[in-house]
Amino acid sequence: MRFNLLVTTALLIISGMVQAAESGTTVKKDSVRAAPFSDAKIVVTLPAATKVEILKKDGGWYQIKSAQGNGWMRMLSIRRGDINKPSAGSSASALAGLASGRSGTGKVVATTGIRGLNEEQLKAAHYDENQVTLLEASTSSRAEAQKFAARARLKARQMDYLADPGGSK
Amino acid sequence: MNKLTAMLFTAAGLALFLHTAQAFDLGQELKNAARELQKPGGSANLGGYSEAEEVAIGRQIAGNLLGAAPLVPDQKLQKYVNNVGRWVASQSDRPDLAWHFGVIDTNDINAFAAPGGYIFVTRGLYKLLNNEAELAGVLAHEIGHVIRKHHLKILQQGKMLDLGSKVLGKQVSDDKISRLIGSGAEIVSRSLDKGAEFEADRIGVVLAARAGYDAYGLPGVLQEIGHSAADDSSVALLFKTHPHPDDRLARLGEAMDSRFDNLNGQTVEKRFYKIK
Repeated sequence: MRFNLLVTTALLIISGMVQAAESGTTVKKDSVRAAPFSDAKIVVTLPAATKVEILKKDGGWYQIKSAQGNGWMRMLSIRRGDINKPSAGSSASALAGLASGRSGTGKVVATTGIRGLNEEQLKAAHYDENQVTLLEASTSSRAEAQKFAARARLKARQMDYLADPGGSK
Repeated sequence: MNKLTAMLFTAAGLALFLHTAQAFDLGQELKNAARELQKPGGSANLGGYSEAEEVAIGRQIAGNLLGAAPLVPDQKLQKYVNNVGRWVASQSDRPDLAWHFGVIDTNDINAFAAPGGYIFVTRGLYKLLNNEAELAGVLAHEIGHVIRKHHLKILQQGKMLDLGSKVLGKQVSDDKISRLIGSGAEIVSRSLDKGAEFEADRIGVVLAARAGYDAYGLPGVLQEIGHSAADDSSVALLFKTHPHPDDRLARLGEAMDSRFDNLNGQTVEKRFYKIK
C-alpha cells in the first residue's frame, strides 16, 4: 500500500511537471515582459511562429520560456501545443489528460464508444417534463446569486461591450 | 436594418405583446410575418416574440434537450451552476429573465442556449474547467446568445418556410411550438452564423469581467478545446457548429486588445465545484 502510494505520488509529480512545461507557439508578434502587466519592462519581442514553453497562467498572461528570453506574454498571443504536430497525438496532451484525471483526448475517446450528443440523437429527443421540473427546482433568484457572489467577494463593475473588430454589425 | 426600421419593429412587437398578452398565437404571428414579407423591401420581424412566447419556446427546447441528455444527478452541482450563471446574467441587459442553468449528462464537450434563458453545459465540458471564472465565461457566452436572440432569429427564418407550406395549402398542426422548433432538440445542433458566435464570445468576456471574474476564463477554455483534435468525437458537434477555437481566439484577441489589462478579476478556484 505504502509503496503504491509512493509510486502514485511520484507519477503525479512527474506528470504535473510535464503538464507545467507545455509547449506553445506565438500566433503574432508580441513582447515578452518581466511581469504580467502591460507596462512591465519588455524583455524581448518575439516574432510570430516562435516556439515557447508555457510555465503557468496568470489572468490574461502566460509565463513563458523561449530561446530568446523568458518572461510573461499575453495568452492570446500564444497558441497552446506544437504548431507542427497534431494536438491529439502529442504525448504532452495525453499526459495532461492523465494528470488531470480526464478520460484522455483524441483517439482514446473516439474508440471507446460514442456517448456524445450527435444530431440524430438531438433530433429524436422527446420532451421530458420531469427533467424540466428538476431544472427549474435549482433556479437561483437574482438576490440569491448576489449573496453567492458576495461570499467570494465578487464585485460587479461597469464595462462597455466590445466592438466587432471586423467592423460589421 | 436601419434605426427607423428597428424602432418600427420594436413598436410592432410591443403592440403585439399588449394585444395577445399571454396567448401564444402562431397563426397571428404567421399573418404578421406574411404582411411583413409582402411589404416592399420588408423583412420579417426577426426575433420579434413577446417574452412569454420566448420563454415558452425555450422551455420546450430545454425539455427536448433534456430528453436526449438528462441533468447530472447532483443537486449541489446544479445549484452551484445556477448561482454562477444567475450572477453573470444579472450583469446583462436582461437581468430579470428567469434564467435556468443545468449540467447535462454526456461526455460530449459542448454548451447550449435556448431562448428565454435556458442554458446547458455538458459534463464533458464542465470537466475541462479549472475554476469558477472559466465556468462563468462559458455561461456568459451562452447568455450572449440569449440576450441577442440568436436562436429566435433562426426560428423566425424557419417560420418563413412554414409560411410557404401554408400557402401551398398544407395544414398547420395543432402543436404550434413543436412545429416552430422542429424535431426534438434539433435547433441546438444548428449552426448560427459565425458573426453570432464571435459576438457571443465578445459578450462573454465582458459579462464575466462585469461580474468580477477574470475575463480570460472563456479564452482559456477555448484554448483547451482548440487543443483537442477535430476528429475527437466528443468535440465533433461543437466543431461542426462553431468556428474553430483558434479563429475565435484570434478574433477575441483583436477585440479585447489591451482593454482588460488593468482589470484584476478573480478566478475563484477554491470553491469551484468538482464533479467526478
